[in-house]
Amino acid sequence: MKETREEARFIGRPAKVVQMEPAMVVEWPRTFIHRHTYGKLTPFFKGLQEGRLLATRCKNPKCPENRLWLPARADCPDCLQPMAWEEIPQPVIGTIYTYTRVAYGGMGLEISEPYWQIDVELEGVCTIFKGWLKYGEPKIGMKVRAQFQDVPTNTILNIYWVPHDG
Amino acid sequence: MIVMKEGNKRIPKWNRKVFAVAGGLTDYRKWFPEYKLEELVMLAFRQMLEQNDLKMDPLEVKGLINYAVYGHFADHFQDQLLCSAKVHDYLGLDPLYNVGIKTGGATGGSAVLTGAMAVASGYADVVLVAGWERMDEVDTRTGNTYISFAACKDYETRLARMYSAYYAPMAKRFMETYNLSEETRAKVAVKNHLYACSSPYAQQPGRYTVEEVLNSRIAAWPLRFLECCAMSVGAASMLLCDEKTAWRLTDRPCELYIAGGSHTLRVADRRHQAIPLLPHETEEMYRDLLEPGSRYPGFESFLASRMAAWFCYRMAGIENPLEDLDLVELHDAFTISDIQTYGDIGLRPYGQEPDYIESGDAYYINPNTGKPGKCPSNLSGGLIGTMHAVGATGIFQGVECLWQVQQKYDKFHGDPKIWEFWGKTKPDDWQSLQIPDRKGCQAAWVSHAGVGSHVTLGILRKAWQ
Repeated sequence: MKETREEARFIGRPAKVVQMEPAMVVEWPRTFIHRHTYGKLTPFFKGLQEGRLLATRCKNPKCPENRLWLPARADCPDCLQPMAWEEIPQPVIGTIYTYTRVAYGGMGLEISEPYWQIDVELEGVCTIFKGWLKYGEPKIGMKVRAQFQDVPTNTILNIYWVPHDG
Repeated sequence: MIVMKEGNKRIPKWNRKVFAVAGGLTDYRKWFPEYKLEELVMLAFRQMLEQNDLKMDPLEVKGLINYAVYGHFADHFQDQLLCSAKVHDYLGLDPLYNVGIKTGGATGGSAVLTGAMAVASGYADVVLVAGWERMDEVDTRTGNTYISFAACKDYETRLARMYSAYYAPMAKRFMETYNLSEETRAKVAVKNHLYACSSPYAQQPGRYTVEEVLNSRIAAWPLRFLECCAMSVGAASMLLCDEKTAWRLTDRPCELYIAGGSHTLRVADRRHQAIPLLPHETEEMYRDLLEPGSRYPGFESFLASRMAAWFCYRMAGIENPLEDLDLVELHDAFTISDIQTYGDIGLRPYGQEPDYIESGDAYYINPNTGKPGKCPSNLSGGLIGTMHAVGATGIFQGVECLWQVQQKYDKFHGDPKIWEFWGKTKPDDWQSLQIPDRKGCQAAWVSHAGVGSHVTLGILRKAWQ
């Protein structure tokens, strides 16, 4: 009677050899998907989907920081208490604090380059919010207005800024 | 934390003295297929043991090691988790304990700090500190994206996927606030590329003019490619020990002080606060610096660098860095981060940082006077001229300081055999950048992570007469 046996087989693809001299180098493809949680920042990113900008404020009356936080954070670093969400009234008008023109972004960049990356000060906010300018040329002190993607990106890129002329 | 309370301000103190006695480097290259990572670390380790004039046989020195600290920035660059275990075994140090350190660009400095803590506490008498990075497994754009994973992934990473775009807005703000010209920034690049020409380890040596830097390709305006650090493959190592062992091993030990500071990863989150003053500063100096509504540290300065200096100067008894230090090695990841640091560590008062370059104090030979610069910076070529194999960088800078204080710059940079070992030819016009010897000679180096999230400042002081 013929003996049957199960054999383990190589089922991958041979690694592509890039070079053999001065040392053997092979290509090692990597493609992974991460599932990233926005956790307690979910109201912020849900707000962006809905065309609203939400920030957080500490409600602890004893806390030394009572201004808004944007980038929002769910817990206050000064008194360690949970913060509350507040929508910034529309239209959201900010002032350019500084900026750069990105000419050479990294792999996977989702904005067509070159483009202006801007840092925006908002009244009543203790931090400075980083974003991108859809058109126009920035200057420090220039007023800009927040807008939102029609088709949500579900990321921070859902919000962008345009020059605010008045 | 904005208001530091009593315990937060405690000055670090060693329970016993800590010394650095030897160092080792590799060549640094953009593409380095000739060696695997652990093989490169072995080369740095062997240079440290074999070429530093130690008074014991290399294997006897290896036999003194009690503990090892390894710095590597990003697992995904090497595509190898727990790389330190692999390296440790390759160096033949099993079954001694080792620990891996990751604090971004400050990884090397943090590794030295961690090793020093082990000696100071008595956990170990002799500590190997080694670091590395292998950044050539992916192309440059992918490498930039990997590095940008050190930015906040919720709010910032997607806005550029490249770190120069997180420093460039700081450059714009600094230029506007403190009257920094493009030419002054370019001079930093010219200087550091030039000093790299004297180093057999350098990846990006070059004799550029200011005009060539300003005409080079833009990465993120206003920063040009020639103002940006190298992306490197390579390793570095340093040997730390207690006082008794230091004198057993060398006649030229250097006493080590090192401390660190941290600040928010997101520049956006820097709220205004009072300026922590260094020993030589007064509140009066900064009375008119900030206009109403301005911020400190804002986008102009690095609070983490200021705190590292704040702690380390007091730990080491430094009263005025420009007067007391003979050399600084700064983390010139970009020209602007180099310039920002001049104020943070007190080489100039805040607001006057460009003068450190324009005065000529930052040069080996002051171009204005033809005499030695008062406190030259980055004679190693720095990150712009020589290397930024991230996990190795803060160790490389410390080793360069060590060799300078030990009066061994020429031995480790001028020996044609070292150039030949790395397949290079020592230039006919090679220039020694050795700093002068003096009693108490000392050098400082700054190791710095993404927009100043972690920073260490280390000082190496000549311990022999």
